[in-house]
Amino acid sequence: MSAAARSLSRKRPSGRKALLATAMLLVAVASAFPLAWMVLSSLKTPAETMQVPPVWIPRTPTLEAYEKVAGVVNVERSMWNSLVIATVTTAGILVTSMMAGYAFAKYSFPGRSLLFSVLIATMFLPPIVTLIPLYRMVGSIGLSASLAGIIVPNLANAFGIFLMRQFIAGVPDDLIDAARMDGASELLILFKIVAPSVAPAIAALALFAFVYHWNSYLWPLTVLQGNADAYPIVISLSRLLSYNRGAVNTGLVMAGATLAVLPPLVLFVFLQRFFVDSIVGSAIKG
Amino acid sequence: MAKAFRASAGIMLAPAVTLIGVFVLLPMLLTIWLSFQDWSTQTPFSEASFVGLGNFHEIFGPTSVGRDFKTALLNTAIYTALSVVLILPLSVVFGLLVYQREVAGGTALRTVLFSTYMVPMIAVALVWSKLYAPSEGPLNQLLGLVGIGPQPWLSSPRSALISIVLLNVWQQVGYFTVLAIAGLTQIPGSLYEAATLDGANGREQFRFITLPLLRRTLLFSAVIAIINAVQVFEPVALITQGGPVGSSNVLTYHIRRVGIERAQGGLGSAMAVMLMLSLIVCVSALFAFVNRKDSE
Repeated sequence: MSAAARSLSRKRPSGRKALLATAMLLVAVASAFPLAWMVLSSLKTPAETMQVPPVWIPRTPTLEAYEKVAGVVNVERSMWNSLVIATVTTAGILVTSMMAGYAFAKYSFPGRSLLFSVLIATMFLPPIVTLIPLYRMVGSIGLSASLAGIIVPNLANAFGIFLMRQFIAGVPDDLIDAARMDGASELLILFKIVAPSVAPAIAALALFAFVYHWNSYLWPLTVLQGNADAYPIVISLSRLLSYNRGAVNTGLVMAGATLAVLPPLVLFVFLQRFFVDSIVGSAIKG
Repeated sequence: MAKAFRASAGIMLAPAVTLIGVFVLLPMLLTIWLSFQDWSTQTPFSEASFVGLGNFHEIFGPTSVGRDFKTALLNTAIYTALSVVLILPLSVVFGLLVYQREVAGGTALRTVLFSTYMVPMIAVALVWSKLYAPSEGPLNQLLGLVGIGPQPWLSSPRSALISIVLLNVWQQVGYFTVLAIAGLTQIPGSLYEAATLDGANGREQFRFITLPLLRRTLLFSAVIAIINAVQVFEPVALITQGGPVGSSNVLTYHIRRVGIERAQGGLGSAMAVMLMLSLIVCVSALFAFVNRKDSE
């Protein structure tokens, strides 16, 4: 391993190791604590959530708070809405990013680098900068207060194009040329030959897009304008806090938060390899 | 053959370019155009009437519109600076903890750190609003254990903004740690071997090898951290509503309140243009700073 680590470990190895291990443990605990607290609190009785000093571990874990959440907001409907928003948006991003990424990586055409720069620049544009006119535009084409209004403006993004171009550039030209000799169409080549060889990057992009749009709050809140039928879970969740202010609703809020956190977190735990690799890839190659 | 590829390029690019053109570039240009107009967000764009720099005079003027905007701009600057100043050093320290191979468990630590980045900001805001609760909240209890009195956190104008910075740092630092690790893996081990032979100690190696060679990574991290920081919305919208007394009013929240809720589209757009300009200035200054360091 790293020579720095080796050279350092030569002196006072045991004290150094104990210090390192303690630091790592402290960081891990600080990082995990809020989510652990969230899950534990969601299993407490209302009395326990209000107790001072706080109860750390619930004595008799109960799902009472989860039942109450279901009574205040339509959990099933909201989870379904979130799933539809995240899945459809992700599918769109995958198709548009692969197509554009392929064009930027494998074709030469006039204005290629200019067009690429303009698209990439939008990656650094905070969404609030376009929010006001976009809200008006989506309203005037009749998409406000609907799931379509949330989804359609997000079907393509610069990050996806950038990531796909980076990885597709590494696919050998010979592979593509051979398929062209056989008379395959460009779309067929992209989806049957190029896509399988960049599968890990596609998986990473799918996960990023899914989690990002599952978690997204500002745009759905703005475009839905109070249409509760179309609320994704993150918006339903925000109503739990105003439902009953104060300590009384702590269990309720924690149960709701746990429900919203679970899908992205479970995806991450099983597929974290792809996440980390693609961040590393985009940072180094970029 | 080349002609055929040009046609294919058009087909391949059309979906992404059309969508980004219509839903990102067009609204961006409209924001700039609207910043010079008097326009209500509830009316069509055709109702806008040109007012020159009127909106800009107003948002920097002495009225309540100007005061609120200047407060939000300053709060956003403080929030962004604090976030970057906390996140970057922590990401390097945590990155070194994950990257070292003396003590096992680096990968597990990376998983724990990065998992917070997956959590929806709305859940982060909800959970932290309870962590910060003055009496029954666990943070004040923990501080009590080490002899520090209870803090007002989100309920005091002096600490509300910094409390939101802290929850933001908690959520994002894992992502930047992974970026730092990516940078660390790019530093050739031979440099450390040579330095060790020359008798450089750990601190000197960090200062003269690790840090200079992480400069590009840290520049990238700083740019992303700035862009992320100006987007803070959920904790403010959900918990503080910009208060107490405007102390946590930040631009994303304020622009939405003015431009959407109060439907003052022209004023909101002028504020959005100022945000965009501030970002361009900050990021260019960062690049200039790092490039000058590079040429030294």
